[in-house]
Amino acid sequence: MKDRTEIVASGFGGQGVVRLGQTLGEAAVKQGLRVTMLKSHGTEMRGGYVRSQVVLSQKPIDSPMCENPDVFLALSAAAYKRFKDTVPPEGLILYDPAFVAEVDTGLKCRQKPLPAKDLAVKHFKRPLFANAIALGALSRLLEGRLDKDKVLESFLEVIPKYKEENRAAFELGYRQVE
Amino acid sequence: MKRFLETGNFAITEGAILAGCRFFCGYPITPATELAEAMSLRLPQVGGVYLQAEDECAAMHLCIGASLGGMKSMTATSGPGFILYADPYGWALGCETPMVVLNSGRVGPVSGITGAPGQGEFYLTRYPTQGGNFETVVLAPNSAQESMKVVVDAFYLSERLRMPITVLADQLITDGMEDISVPETEEEMKEMGFRVWPRSYHRGPDFYPATDALDIPPVQMGHNTGALCSDWTPTEEGYDIEEVEAHHKHAYRLIYKVRNNRHLFSDMHEKRHMGDDPDLVVVSFGTPSRVVNTAVDRARAEGLKVGALRLINLWPFPDELFRRRTTYLVVELNWDGQLVREVQRAAAEGSKVHFLGVCGDLPTIPDLMETFTKLLKNQPLSRKGWELEAW
Repeated sequence: MKDRTEIVASGFGGQGVVRLGQTLGEAAVKQGLRVTMLKSHGTEMRGGYVRSQVVLSQKPIDSPMCENPDVFLALSAAAYKRFKDTVPPEGLILYDPAFVAEVDTGLKCRQKPLPAKDLAVKHFKRPLFANAIALGALSRLLEGRLDKDKVLESFLEVIPKYKEENRAAFELGYRQVE
Repeated sequence: MKRFLETGNFAITEGAILAGCRFFCGYPITPATELAEAMSLRLPQVGGVYLQAEDECAAMHLCIGASLGGMKSMTATSGPGFILYADPYGWALGCETPMVVLNSGRVGPVSGITGAPGQGEFYLTRYPTQGGNFETVVLAPNSAQESMKVVVDAFYLSERLRMPITVLADQLITDGMEDISVPETEEEMKEMGFRVWPRSYHRGPDFYPATDALDIPPVQMGHNTGALCSDWTPTEEGYDIEEVEAHHKHAYRLIYKVRNNRHLFSDMHEKRHMGDDPDLVVVSFGTPSRVVNTAVDRARAEGLKVGALRLINLWPFPDELFRRRTTYLVVELNWDGQLVREVQRAAAEGSKVHFLGVCGDLPTIPDLMETFTKLLKNQPLSRKGWELEAW
């Protein structure tokens, strides 16, 4: 496996994009990896543009920028459009079709829909849990680099509320990806 | 040693506390709000005081008061707040009051963009107040972990030089998260190269020596000095005076206590691939330097003779690092070019100095690689349609 793993998540404020990146970072610290996580955002707490960029490595990390993400989680059409072309052919885009209606079929990388918002409403009655579903799916995709148990443990520490629902939503997301 | 995934704001808070800071006063602003938040949590735990002021001007004045009362103090802000320090910064310089000021750069001018990094205060940190007749010391870390050490260094220098010290960070350092190691014992602090200088009392009766002497303890109110926190030119005894000869002595002190003691911080820079007289030296500070380092590693792997010089000590400017005649490329998070002007001034005669600016985001590795290649082939540079040949 290559030493450097880049993960980008981007969407609106309030979707948990920063918490998601933070959770992956916490899990990586528990496994003794070096981590950087950049967050960029507008002024608004909710509704504005947000992006997390996570880099994991066994060695000290120079550039904290995700220029060629291994995994890109797109939670808004604007985010998809802005970062889709940065994903290399061997990378993967995970997108929520509730927000990303138009998919660019010309991209070389794999693209996978993850209906996190709809699943959250269907199973947990609240779109809030889409974040946990997305994290479960990311955890499956990052297996071999991050341990699923460490990701879930970190998530329950980062979001100390709704533990049962979050655990169930995480597992549901995990099962959405092969 | 404890390891955390935390922000630079957290790392800076822990560094300040390890350095002995026990008073923080600020006015919250992105991307330094979490620093105020962390200080408000941590300072009471160690017997310190956290105070939120009505604005930045008051905040730094209150830090001066705390320092005159014997406490190591600190304030933190971003560009729009740093400009409001102009008045108290002058007081702290003139009255030789030790304290640490953190500025986390975002995109300007004025409020600009809050959640994105910029480097628009390179010169403003050199001249944070009016009037001239002073030197300033400015340090710029490039990671959360390094920001902890640099803040400890800033407190150390502020005590020994008896003056405010500015730490110039950026939004990616303070708001970004990284795995951070926090020392738990004095041994571990020593291993990590942390320098700590205790606060001591100045027992007077003089206010200051008209020399470049180090380690003159700061005046402390109520300790028999009779001196002084005033905006007027002081006599050596600490009385206000509007008189040219006294002013000359005071100015000499403010300028030469820094210029003649640069050994305290002149080793604060990082060189990468600089051992073989590279054909191109890439100069930067703060977070962009991390992308530069990656790009320079890649350039070397492709056989390009490129080196990277990263400044931590920004002011007084380290002219001696630019004595070799070569081609310099200065990478900054602004479109106007600030550091590049200083490199132009300091570079050996016959050197070529170029500028690559970007703001709100970091430069990309492909952009940097393309620029390196063009410069090494003597081809013209352009960026986003702007001709950069003027540099």
